[in-house]
Amino acid sequence: MTAATETDRALVDRVAKGDRAAVRLLFMRHHARVYRFVARQTGSEMMADDIANEVFLELWRQAPGFEGRSEVSTWLLGIARFKALSVLRKRKEEWIDDDDAAQIVDGADTPEVVIMKEDKGAALRRFVDALPEEHRTVIDLAYYHQQSVTEIGEVLGIPVATVKTRMFYARKKLGEALKAAGYDRGWP
Amino acid sequence: MSAAEKMSRRDEMETLLPFYLNGSLEGSDLEAVEEWLATDPAALAALGEAEAEFSSTAAANEAIRPPADALSRFARALDAEAGPAPAPAASSWLRQAWNRFTAVPVGVAWAAAAALLALVVVQSFMQPSGKGSDFEIAGQEDDLAKMPFALVKFKPDARMSDIAAFLGQNQLKIAGGPTVDGVFRLAVPAKTAADYEKLLGLIAAQPFADAVIEGRKPVDGG
Repeated sequence: MTAATETDRALVDRVAKGDRAAVRLLFMRHHARVYRFVARQTGSEMMADDIANEVFLELWRQAPGFEGRSEVSTWLLGIARFKALSVLRKRKEEWIDDDDAAQIVDGADTPEVVIMKEDKGAALRRFVDALPEEHRTVIDLAYYHQQSVTEIGEVLGIPVATVKTRMFYARKKLGEALKAAGYDRGWP
Repeated sequence: MSAAEKMSRRDEMETLLPFYLNGSLEGSDLEAVEEWLATDPAALAALGEAEAEFSSTAAANEAIRPPADALSRFARALDAEAGPAPAPAASSWLRQAWNRFTAVPVGVAWAAAAALLALVVVQSFMQPSGKGSDFEIAGQEDDLAKMPFALVKFKPDARMSDIAAFLGQNQLKIAGGPTVDGVFRLAVPAKTAADYEKLLGLIAAQPFADAVIEGRKPVDGG
């Protein structure tokens, strides 16, 4: 089996035996996504750089205990999430709560100004970025990291029903923001 | 009843659409979404909206560029964590040959006997003979180290007298070993690659030879 086709799990097995080439391969496969995930979580690329590195060092340390119950990508995102939260708590940074987020769309620009400045795709991207962290995270995990409902639950440490609820409200907020900007998509 | 349970069918389908798009939906949820897409005129428009969210979210993420030197910095951090990386092996074919070679089982008794044999052969080589009063041990060791060599493993039931006789007849010297696996480094007095290969063939043909692999060959014309 060549390195290009070797599965993530097979590589983790090699890492567990002290194979540094295997951990570098996993780094190359997953680092960008882990980095982006943390950057979106923390809002800081500097923090993302440190934490993403730590995630793969943690992979090196924990590989012997990896039982393969979840995909390696899900496992790494879970580690990244835990580390990001730990760092944020240490730095006493506050999460944006729903009330704050509701104000974001109504920021400096009116919806009319926004629509003048941006096409629908750009507006949507702006609204995704402005979602409360807990909602944006499930959007990121589903759309970008292509995680299932169950896997998102594992990464975030929340029940499946909560994942669905957060997804519901995330999409509802996006719909409302679009409507306010002049794009009525018929739901909610 | 939870908030999720209170969702209308449309709400429920809208919630599942992102997972339908990322391909992770299965079972009854997948069937429900597909049935909705097939029967509700509003469903295809909803799917288009979810696709737009998909694209925008991907773009928002892809806009974040990881630093170009991330891998090299990680490699340094890994070395700091795990210690310096071991020196690279000479070549993959040699490593594979060595792995096959050392995989051959060796009896404990033979390993002990091999060690004794090595001692006897090397001592007999290094002791001055009757007319060798000007014998220089260090010089001989240097010569041995510089000579072409092969790696040899003997069969557990081989007789030491047979081996010693064969080595003597062919001017072969044991230059190192045995390893814990019973592997000897055999100095091969060959001037050319052809001579070297001929001698290795001869060693491999002996009934007491278990495995032979190439080490350093002479450079022709040198």
